[in-house]
Amino acid sequence: MVHALKDIRRVLARGGLLLDLRPLSGAWPVEVVGAGGVTVTGHVDESEDIADDRAAAAALAAVEREGLFVRERDGDFDFSWYWDSLGEAQAYIAEKWTEARVPEEVLAETQRQMARAGEGARVRVSTRVVISRWRRLGP
Amino acid sequence: MTVQRDPEEREINHLHAFADFAGARVLEIGCGEGRLTWRYAGAAARVVGVDPDPKRLGVARSDCPPALRSTVTFALAKAEALPFPRETFDLAVLAWSL
Repeated sequence: MVHALKDIRRVLARGGLLLDLRPLSGAWPVEVVGAGGVTVTGHVDESEDIADDRAAAAALAAVEREGLFVRERDGDFDFSWYWDSLGEAQAYIAEKWTEARVPEEVLAETQRQMARAGEGARVRVSTRVVISRWRRLGP
Repeated sequence: MTVQRDPEEREINHLHAFADFAGARVLEIGCGEGRLTWRYAGAAARVVGVDPDPKRLGVARSDCPPALRSTVTFALAKAEALPFPRETFDLAVLAWSL
């Protein structure tokens, strides 16, 4: 990762900016969103990449220590995916999030809550995304 | 399969709050299928999206909106070996890819 950050610095103009956006690994809440409100039905286990999160943070800290970039700003926000049915959510997760695990009991509870919420209800999964801005330093 | 991603537009709002894309030469690393690219490219002078996955890049190329085709190009590359000269870009975006 440090090697990648150094090559990014190479192609950036002097004083150029690097934005890093990353979803945080962990337990991503699964919810049913209906006219009557929002019900949490469990979590998607996205903890496989926690080591990658730590490695990314360490790489950015390393290039800052070397005086290659300086951190200017941090923030975070919730990023959500919505599906009209549990089946669509399952198909998407199976195709796109190959390392994610959705426990059977979460699927069953989501199905129950979708039926209870009625027409127009949607399945929502959310993650926390961190964003940081770094300025290229040096010649 | 229908999915709505970030209909609240928090991601693009944060991107614009953190950097001024107007007139910028932008490199997006890990552009994938262009999900994020389409959302800011209209403001930039030039955007190059790179990704190591040729299938995802193929989708990005075919999905590129006509209005952005003169601004956005894509290249098969990894962040560790970017095929560009020194100091080519004003802004680099690591799009869920570090």
